[in-house]
Amino acid sequence: MRKYALLPFNFITILNHEILINELGDFIITPIGTVQKILSHSISDEDLYKTLVSNFFVTEEILPSLLDIYASRLRTKKGFLDDKTSLHIFVLTLRCNQNCIYCQASSQEETSKHCSMSLEDMTASVQMMFHSPSPNLTMEFQGGEPSLEIDLIRHGIETAEEINKEKNRKLTYVLCTNCRKLSDDMLELCKQYNILISTSLDGPSYIHNKNRGREDSYEKTIAGINKARAVLGNEFVSALMTTSELALDYPKEIVDEYVSDGFNGIFLRALNPYGLAAQNEDWKRYNQRFISFYKTAVDYIIEINKHGIFFREEYASIILRKMLTPYTTGFVDLQSPAGTINSVIVYNYDGYVYASDESRMLAEIHDYSFRLGKVTDKYEDVFCGSVAKRMGKIWANEALAGCSSCPIKVYCGADPVRHHSTQGDMYGFRPTSLVCEKNKAIIEYLFSLIVERGDEVLPIFRRWVK
Amino acid sequence: MTLKIDRKIFSDSCISTVVYWFSSRYAIQRSIQGTIETLTIDGVQDEKQFLLEFYQKLNDYKLRNQIDEETKYIKTILYAKAFGEFDELTEEEILE
Ligand code: SF4
Repeated sequence: MRKYALLPFNFITILNHEILINELGDFIITPIGTVQKILSHSISDEDLYKTLVSNFFVTEEILPSLLDIYASRLRTKKGFLDDKTSLHIFVLTLRCNQNCIYCQASSQEETSKHCSMSLEDMTASVQMMFHSPSPNLTMEFQGGEPSLEIDLIRHGIETAEEINKEKNRKLTYVLCTNCRKLSDDMLELCKQYNILISTSLDGPSYIHNKNRGREDSYEKTIAGINKARAVLGNEFVSALMTTSELALDYPKEIVDEYVSDGFNGIFLRALNPYGLAAQNEDWKRYNQRFISFYKTAVDYIIEINKHGIFFREEYASIILRKMLTPYTTGFVDLQSPAGTINSVIVYNYDGYVYASDESRMLAEIHDYSFRLGKVTDKYEDVFCGSVAKRMGKIWANEALAGCSSCPIKVYCGADPVRHHSTQGDMYGFRPTSLVCEKNKAIIEYLFSLIVERGDEVLPIFRRWVK
Repeated sequence: MTLKIDRKIFSDSCISTVVYWFSSRYAIQRSIQGTIETLTIDGVQDEKQFLLEFYQKLNDYKLRNQIDEETKYIKTILYAKAFGEFDELTEEEILE
């Protein structure tokens, strides 16, 4: 019987293997029965034993001398907490020049009035942003269609640049635009301040146009992407897709579209079922179809990579980064404590601050649960106020029923806003949670690829997380 | 269907976790006499499959509980070392 002590770990069984996962997200693939052998101190495989010791699964000392290293690696994994709130979303307006069928931002006509942020609120929002201790501040302009409010963008950036002369933060600007009417003035502003463009492209024209509610939408978006690339350079333009019901039937075609448009990755994003709990059965079906869609698309992307083309799926890359590297990711949906408030905050056109993008969308259906305060309020009252405190009690998956004993929690996150929206309860009930079902399916799928086709997929996955 | 489980073999926490995960599909009532817990489960179509899944989860959570039990002190030390200084910060320092 070997003498050693256990270090904290969990395990999951996939394809007749036990995958042992420690607090850092490091994992070892072992034969079935390994956990039992570890517990009964009867490991006979010398190599396996050495792997368990060197990867912090068991220790031969009572207090391992490398505990400080383990602790500092654990700290690194939660590094996003040290960074504090770095993503600041400015919802400039609800005005829009498209009619997307699944629009979750409740957009208004291009000519609508009273649904844009005032200059005063923009100034107050930027001032509040600088109260965040983060050394990196990203100002992301959203809408509606934010490029319809170029003066507001210019005012926001100029105010930030002025304050930053003293504050010395690293500022990044992102414009989320449908690229439909990217004016020369707008692109000039982008060039002047290195604004990154994030656009929406749902796939080939027959999907994109249907989703976006206009027959010329695809053509205009592609033209806008090309125009922006010509002025700013390819690396300044990225695209996001949203998987509508229609898109679910075309995983390969959507990937092909992104490859042929010269992108080197795609984020396969599911629709968010905000405030639609009433049609829960439909969402369950959608979720399951999305998972199949996702797997087919990722399989296809792996094939593309095998032909020497670098092209990655972004959601998988975020999870793989947690699995295969010592680092954290800045992706707010897969964080614990949750990304809401801790990493992202939203200044809305209505002069209020919300806990996340989804929170302000809920406000459009008169649910103000995640309204933190006014942009003119004191920073402390907003970021550490009663709503934040209430959320703080349930935003760590390490302390949630279902999640706390979940073997893959280190790769997953807590999402109080989503659970409030879909289940009417911030705490959430994991056995019927759509977000739990989706994350679990995707994480287990990635593991199954590693178990079954490790030699083939791991070199590809390692390139994705570099 | 009913299921009798000996609490000397599977702890309350272990059974509770498994019941939690099954509660989206089945209505499960729990009662206990001595060390024997009786589960009355409504809605089971395929008993064999149910038992296979239920016991597999019970065994897995029993192993997980054992690991947690054996590692709880080292885990506390580990987290204290990693994040301990947060406890010493005042609210003002956190906000700085
Ligand atoms: S949400 Fe689901 S998959 Fe994610 S940690 Fe919780 S139980 Fe696990």
